Amino acid sequence: MGSQQLELVLKDITKTFPGGVIALQDVSMKLKNGEFIALLGENGAGKSTLMKILYGIYTPDKGSIILNDEELSIRKPSDAIRRGIIMVSQSPQLIDRLTVAENLTLGLENVKPFAGFSRASIMIKEYSMKVGVKIKPDDKVWSLTYTQKQLVEIVRALVLGAKILILDEALTYLPLEERKKFYVFLQEFKRKGGAVVVITHKIPEALEVADRIVVLRKGRVSGELTREEATLEKVRELMFAEAAREITYERLPSSVKGERPVIKAEDLWVQGDFGVPAVKGVSIEVKEGEVAGIAGVVGNGQRELLEALIGLRRIDKGRVHIDGVDVTNKGIGNIRNMGVGFIPDLPLRYGVSQDNNIIENIAVLFHREKFVIDWDRVQGLTRDIIKTFKILTPSEFYPVKILSGGNLMKVVVGRELNYSRRALIAYNPTRALDEITAVQVRRIIKDKAMNERIAVIFASEDLDEVYQLSDTIYVMNSGKIHGPFDPETTPRDEIERLMVM
Amino acid sequence: MVLRRTRPLKHGKLTTITLSLVAGILLYTFILAAIGVSPLLTLSIISSSFISSGVIKDFIVLTVLGYALLVAFKGSLWNIGAEGQFYMGAVPVIYLTTVAFYTMGSVSIAQSILVITGSVILAIVFGALWGAIAGAIKAYAGVDEVPVTLILNYIAYYLVNILILGPFQGKYVYGYKRTDLIPEAYQLGIKIQLASTGNPIIDGVLSYVREMIIFGWWLLGLAMVVFLVWWFFNKTSLGLKVKVLGSNPDYLVTAGWDVKKVTIATFAISGAIVGFMSALYLLGYLLRLEYPIEGQTAGYGYLAILVAWLSLLDITLVPVSAYIISSLTNAGIAQSSSPEVKQFLTQAGFAGAELSFRWVMIGSILLTYSVLRFLSDYEVRVIRK
Repeated sequence: MGSQQLELVLKDITKTFPGGVIALQDVSMKLKNGEFIALLGENGAGKSTLMKILYGIYTPDKGSIILNDEELSIRKPSDAIRRGIIMVSQSPQLIDRLTVAENLTLGLENVKPFAGFSRASIMIKEYSMKVGVKIKPDDKVWSLTYTQKQLVEIVRALVLGAKILILDEALTYLPLEERKKFYVFLQEFKRKGGAVVVITHKIPEALEVADRIVVLRKGRVSGELTREEATLEKVRELMFAEAAREITYERLPSSVKGERPVIKAEDLWVQGDFGVPAVKGVSIEVKEGEVAGIAGVVGNGQRELLEALIGLRRIDKGRVHIDGVDVTNKGIGNIRNMGVGFIPDLPLRYGVSQDNNIIENIAVLFHREKFVIDWDRVQGLTRDIIKTFKILTPSEFYPVKILSGGNLMKVVVGRELNYSRRALIAYNPTRALDEITAVQVRRIIKDKAMNERIAVIFASEDLDEVYQLSDTIYVMNSGKIHGPFDPETTPRDEIERLMVM
Repeated sequence: MVLRRTRPLKHGKLTTITLSLVAGILLYTFILAAIGVSPLLTLSIISSSFISSGVIKDFIVLTVLGYALLVAFKGSLWNIGAEGQFYMGAVPVIYLTTVAFYTMGSVSIAQSILVITGSVILAIVFGALWGAIAGAIKAYAGVDEVPVTLILNYIAYYLVNILILGPFQGKYVYGYKRTDLIPEAYQLGIKIQLASTGNPIIDGVLSYVREMIIFGWWLLGLAMVVFLVWWFFNKTSLGLKVKVLGSNPDYLVTAGWDVKKVTIATFAISGAIVGFMSALYLLGYLLRLEYPIEGQTAGYGYLAILVAWLSLLDITLVPVSAYIISSLTNAGIAQSSSPEVKQFLTQAGFAGAELSFRWVMIGSILLTYSVLRFLSDYEVRVIRK
């Protein structure tokens, strides 16, 4: 990298998607070496599209990319990589069957035969020590955690000679502590002459780490702020204009719990992905109208617990009852048929079928009884979801894969909230949503619990969310559950202590 | 600039099929020209194949089988076993018509209808079961369906061969290794004679009409299959599940559906359509089975794979694709038997290689298939600065 000067200019970029959706209109942006930029905006503002154009995934209808006064022709990611522009997305693009070193070596040009592995091995050892995430070069990628995979992705970018590193929500799904380690590492990369662009929905983090904040709104640059100028309020105003006033983290009113438990788990033991117990003797009860939030650092068994409750994961010991019916190991189909909604971890992978359109994605869940689909009913429902969640799409027949990440998440959340007749089981229900939509989703969840008397159990690493939404808080740590706690009376530091003890 | 399309071109599929057809024919003509066959002769044989009434039979069979495979392929289930499902479908047809209810004389209309209907229904059931076996092996043992369906083809060949040499061996076949002919009372063909007018254009049209009347039952069956496949994918929940299975089976699981059941059902439906065509083919054209069975259907089961691929799994394009494949294979056969071609080949030292022409043709199409997919998936764009 060295101290070589670098100035990248994106000039008047315009991009329209099929169906007439204007993703970007005359967007210009500058980036220099030694600079850390946070690119912010509400869902569908065009952040990912802009960076995908820079990385060669999309081509602009109009506009140019200029690097050190030379106009670039970036037609595909390999063109960008050759120029030192590398993007890491939220979904790791690694080959599971290969080792870490093999994955790192793939795509390396101009390496001597047999030299690539040793170079990659040295680099992964060095960076895993620096970031504090243990990875061995010989580890098979399938055995890595999500955090480890993301580190491999970033190291791969460095192995490939990244000068400009774009992180498109790449850190969104990481636990806070690990995100912080990554930020420290990225600051070092910046000091050595690299440039970083981070797309995130976490405004406070952006304010902390970025030198400059660029905000997009409805496909246009709504403003730029330096670190000194930027405040939470200013950024929110640029992102949402007057709607920013709707953002609140005040506790939503408590529901009146019913007497009857809807979800009841007794002494649950569930294995994780690698055959070791991830849930250890958890008992939990969620009553009609109750919203139970599970706080915890990622990887402490929350995902496995929720997957066991919905019937996706085998229960080794213990029982699960839904509405008084024993559904232990009865399979997800039976539980779904009882009117239980489910927002999975990694919703893009498990929550949608990207080649199908929005209406089909909704019909496949809702249409359960009859062989012939009542498309009129599904269409009405789909239009309601699109309207309620302000999903940016020309129609319900739009392929899901062309939606922005945030709009795609809205499809998942909207569908599952509508589907929940008796209960909702959710993992990070507002992840990847902008603040306004996130608050709206929490309100809808609460309304459903209060008015339709559904039971809700959700896990979130965002303690603000847990406090805002929950009637009862649990903490999960090392596969065991602590609680219940009353959010009105339990101080945050008590919950935080239980999360990390 | 060449880019991957975010959305397919309007009418792009039809355009790309046409372009690939032209490219495939030119390539084939070029290959033959390289060994001395006149391009004019090749092009004249191919063009007459496209307007020959002789392709109607193959067109109907390949369209129905193409739809059968499209059902599975839409779910990313690679059913390569149409050959086996076809022959398993033939088993109950031969049993009912030449063993259980064989007759030398006339029978009542009621019996004819019952035997024909029973044959068709059982052929559908047998085809479905043979397909479902592959589906069950994939669903429960996780074995890749491509080798399984291929192996099941050979098992079907051998099973049917054993039946021909054993219980299905005809009583009136002078010791030949074949079944008896399906009695006329159970045949589905329509007999018709149209007098020649002497005008080649009118006679050409009449020959088309004649073929369409002869295969009238098949056309009716084809219309039913087209409608049912369209209805299945656009109106039924199972059809939607098959489409989602082909795109993201993980979501199907999360939505609470049993992927194993969907997989088996998809294979069964695919096999059922093949079985249906098998009954029509036996009752309307082949009329008996002969040992060895392998060569009796001109490899329809394998050609249908090409039909499904060429259609880019678009329901409306399966007949287009089937017409192209049936015309080209017929052209290959016509070229093999052309005296001029035989002479050219003998002179060039390729005597006896005529029969392989059909496969040269198929190879050319496969090559152009990549062109087709490329044009379908990518676009060329000019960027304004």
